[in-house]
Amino acid sequence: MCKIQNRFLFSIFYFAVLIPPSLRDRRRYLVFEWISERVIDKWTLLSEIRDSIFSLYGDVGASESKIRLIEYANAEDTDGGMGILRCAHDKVEEVRAALACIHSANEARLSIRVIGISGTIKGATRLLR
Amino acid sequence: MSKFFDLNVHAYPETEVPAEELLRAAKRYGYTGIAITNHDDTEGSELKSNFCFSGIEIRANSVENLKRRIKLYHGKVAVLAVHGGNDKINRAALEDHRVDVLAHPSGEKRGGALNHVLAKLAAKNGVAIEFNLNAIINSRKGERARVLLKMRSHLKLVRKYKAPMILTSNACSIYDLRAPREMIALASLFGMEREEATSALSDFPQGILEKRWKKENDVVVLKNVNLESPRKSV
Repeated sequence: MCKIQNRFLFSIFYFAVLIPPSLRDRRRYLVFEWISERVIDKWTLLSEIRDSIFSLYGDVGASESKIRLIEYANAEDTDGGMGILRCAHDKVEEVRAALACIHSANEARLSIRVIGISGTIKGATRLLR
Repeated sequence: MSKFFDLNVHAYPETEVPAEELLRAAKRYGYTGIAITNHDDTEGSELKSNFCFSGIEIRANSVENLKRRIKLYHGKVAVLAVHGGNDKINRAALEDHRVDVLAHPSGEKRGGALNHVLAKLAAKNGVAIEFNLNAIINSRKGERARVLLKMRSHLKLVRKYKAPMILTSNACSIYDLRAPREMIALASLFGMEREEATSALSDFPQGILEKRWKKENDVVVLKNVNLESPRKSV
């Protein structure tokens, strides 16, 4: 009973926070893949991406690009993988340049390439497969 | 869709990565061809592939030495590049119509610089000015700011005198290669327009391989270089 109530409360909270569609941020989902010398975990990868954006565009630019790591999937056979990164819809090229500037993580060489861009998570997941 | 070329890649005898691996990675990234330009002081091994062009990057310490080596390699390779960085070497390379590419005129990091005279010479002799994107990727903070500043000023000169320009990765391993779209995004960091960057990756390299900016009697045309099915000559 308590659990159901909690979920109910959560859903009310959730809908209260949602802003109207016309005011929501426009986003793009970048599907990217990386190759690396060693396996790189999610937090290392994310901090490396953040560092690259901070060092290239500074704090203001980083706040404008609104990046967030949505999905992270390590490849089974190689030391690479794929992921989905969210960013603001007008900062795609900037984020792409920042991703291209990453050359290593934890002293393992690393190279990131954007495979595709989508406006929805659903479309991006389709590209991921 | 344009054909993309990366005309400055270093492979096995000079670096640890075998050429085949680089070719595979470049093909996956969507390149039509790459030119393996090892420095001439490391002896190269032959590679038979219809994806890869032969090239050489001459690293000379004096102008006489440079001239002698240009004479030696002229007509034997598809891409004859000169390792720039020193003002005297830059000038000598741009004055010579047998040279195809002046690689990183401001050094691998920073060093010499181009000026209006050199840019004019480059346009006249058909020597392409290379923008080495590896310097942007591998440097940070003040170092990178200086590299970008140099590239910005070079771009201004190249635009003014309409000299050929190319974007290259200068890759020494598969982790240094970047896909064409990434290269275009990196080029936008120093003010290159998207169309310019696309032609610097596809149109200009193609022109270099065809020797488009050379006068006909100056050039020993390589018989084996055919853009549809490039083959290693020599």
